Amino acid sequence: MTMSVLNRDDCESIVRRLWPFLDGKLTDADREIVVDHLASCTECRSHFDFAKAFLEAVHGLQPSGRADDGLRTRVIAALAKEGYSDG
Amino acid sequence: MPVTTPGQSQTSTRDAEFSAVALPLLPTLTRFARALAGSDSEGDDIVQETYLRAYRYWHTFDKSTDCRRWLVSICRNALYDMRRRDRLVDATDDAELESLAATRVHRAAVAAGLGDMYARLDLGPAIAKALAALDSAFREVVVLSDVEGYAYEEIAVMLDIPIGTVRSRLYRARRQLQEALMVYALDAGYGVTGARK
Repeated sequence: MTMSVLNRDDCESIVRRLWPFLDGKLTDADREIVVDHLASCTECRSHFDFAKAFLEAVHGLQPSGRADDGLRTRVIAALAKEGYSDG
Repeated sequence: MPVTTPGQSQTSTRDAEFSAVALPLLPTLTRFARALAGSDSEGDDIVQETYLRAYRYWHTFDKSTDCRRWLVSICRNALYDMRRRDRLVDATDDAELESLAATRVHRAAVAAGLGDMYARLDLGPAIAKALAALDSAFREVVVLSDVEGYAYEEIAVMLDIPIGTVRSRLYRARRQLQEALMVYALDAGYGVTGARK
């Protein structure tokens, strides 16, 4: 990835780091520059807040992922045909 | 007193290990498989296939490594085998440009009266639907990262792709999701009337 120069006074260079910042992937020095900029730039801060709210919404998603007893039973039955015994 | 043969003892050890290490990960794997497949029924088929493969090849699993990663890799392969999919297309966009695109989505949301949509609306069902609509190459990355919380590096290992590819797919997937959620909110009548063009 080609990295642009990070300039604390340049909104574009700051928002280019939006996702890496929110994912905790910036260096400490770059992170500090972004934090300083966000402290004084309402517009950029609103972009970051919006993106952060999006990530929280996605993370809060609980896909119908509970392995119910039926699936567990089904998996163990299939394994049993392979010789598995759950004791 | 029953006599235990060496073969039986080996099998029993394998089963005990499998019960202790692999089976407790069933909920995690189910969540991943259902999200990746885009449907519960296909996801459950993949979960079963994954556990069968894992059991057959348990002897190849390095017990010093993370079993979740191993199972996720098997799961992914099982899905693509079932769908007879080839290797995935790569996203080639510059990851920084995707960050910029995210700000454009935000501006559009604000203009449409949806700047606070994540706070105002219950988007869970819409997120699930938008995830299911993503190309699988993007869906698997965003599920692993943003739903399951894996780091870029872990995802790169699980999917056997470079970290840069993880990053570019992830950012593009996020933009697609954000755009889909905005469309959903507008279609549901939450935006400013006439804002959608």
